[in-house]
Amino acid sequence: MVFITAQEILETVTMIRSENLDVRAVTMGISLGDCAAGDSRRTAERVHAKIVRHAGRLVEAADELQEKYGVPIVNKRVSVTPIADVVGSDDPTAYVEVAHALDAAADEIGIDFLGGFSALVQKGFTRGDAALIEAIPDAIGGTRRVCSSVNVASTRAGINMDAVLRMAEVLLAVSKRTADQDSIGCAKIVVFCNAPEDNPFMAGAMHGSGEAEASINVAISGPGVVRNVVAANPQASFIELADLIKRTTFKITRVGELIAREASQMLGAELGIIDLSLAPTPAVGDSIAEILESMGLESVGAPGTTAALAMLNDAVKKGGTMATSSTGGLSGAFIPVSEDKAMARAAADGNLPIEKLEAMTAVCSLGLDMIVVPGDISRDALAGTMADVMAIGMINSKTTGARLIPAAGKQLGDWVTLGGLFGEGPVMKISTAGNSAFVRRGGRIPAPLQSLTN
Amino acid sequence: MRTTVIVTALGPDSHGLLAKVATTIADQNANVDDVSQTVANGMFTMIMFVSFDQGETTIAELKDALEATGEQVGLQIHVQHENIFKFMHRI
Repeated sequence: MVFITAQEILETVTMIRSENLDVRAVTMGISLGDCAAGDSRRTAERVHAKIVRHAGRLVEAADELQEKYGVPIVNKRVSVTPIADVVGSDDPTAYVEVAHALDAAADEIGIDFLGGFSALVQKGFTRGDAALIEAIPDAIGGTRRVCSSVNVASTRAGINMDAVLRMAEVLLAVSKRTADQDSIGCAKIVVFCNAPEDNPFMAGAMHGSGEAEASINVAISGPGVVRNVVAANPQASFIELADLIKRTTFKITRVGELIAREASQMLGAELGIIDLSLAPTPAVGDSIAEILESMGLESVGAPGTTAALAMLNDAVKKGGTMATSSTGGLSGAFIPVSEDKAMARAAADGNLPIEKLEAMTAVCSLGLDMIVVPGDISRDALAGTMADVMAIGMINSKTTGARLIPAAGKQLGDWVTLGGLFGEGPVMKISTAGNSAFVRRGGRIPAPLQSLTN
Repeated sequence: MRTTVIVTALGPDSHGLLAKVATTIADQNANVDDVSQTVANGMFTMIMFVSFDQGETTIAELKDALEATGEQVGLQIHVQHENIFKFMHRI
């Protein structure tokens, strides 16, 4: 018997019962490469059948593990091959048909979201990519569980500004299409730079072409655990604080590793990755902003916030990489405004403007995430904001994403309730200074140098 | 195959708590391999290593029985497979 001390046992129990330690998501990635069938109806049937065949027991297996280890597994999800690579048609209605098949499969296996209604267009569009993007408003607006992501930039290709503009149009269309629910459809769409192929988090999850037939990717969590450690050590120096965070994330990540190993065995899938991201939820005490505030900031957004976040993010990764050899996905602290109660409060108080969030994006994952903007925002302002986020990812060789929600009918200062894990937040200010002559130039911002990096 | 779980019980102290929890475990055909128990400032804390063979009981059954006992005597009782503790605290 391995000797475990009473103190260690009680520490684990406290983390789970009092500090919201959980496994944020067990996501099964499924390759749909062999589902293309010439016509969209048959493709849709094959897609549906394959998802149900591989992931039919996903929820049951996750529930079993939850019972066995006493640790909540909050979300059970599926990611699939980018659908633009599966359907191979230039008819948008074919993609909408497949989106409905994805939605029906997700419903049948009992999961809340399925990701991969996606295309990678950082260098250019195929006809299929263009058709998929055209289909997004109907596909996302007409389904409940399907999530979409489009990779418009990379460090090796630059930023496809035509795609950025196109996605701004798509977001505005989805905003209108889901206007009766505060434009919630936009929360299911991510625009990426350097999108990872093994990300377990929604809405940006996809199962890339380099992945196995089926794999299990696990997203850890535990902002509450880290916050309590930080709050309990107000006198710790930065080095001491970093060590405390590393020790804590080591333990959190080990839980993710254990669940990933067993879930992949139970479901006959490869062990994919453990994503070392601290992800908040709208629950009190499950907040990244509160960790930063526990470090000594009166409010997230105060001078020093970017430095605090950089330290947190780095320590989380250092502790996590000791705990698993299968790191991947996004692996960085998230700063989604509406999903983090303390962050939404700071944004409403004026302490956390969008420019500060942009700076924070440079040192963590994921980017301008779950940010509600006025419903009458112009396409060009939306495109320029997304381009700024893409530029940070492109230059710094990291993943960045934009999940912006132009809330139809809402104005600056209004409060928008998106519901559930999407949370709530204020409509935030984006500069209205003109940028059309810039964003409409057309073509691609070239890939950056990888030397002379100052 | 023998399964080992760790049972933790926390709550305000009163007479006979250990006996009631141990009786529930015995009723489930499981064995207490090790136990430590303290009372500090009126709070009862107990940790038990409990094992059972497949066919004798399951984690789910043990959990249900212990949670019911916990409700009767005012204890929060948790049942978790030992591997989560091994994984979190040992490489």
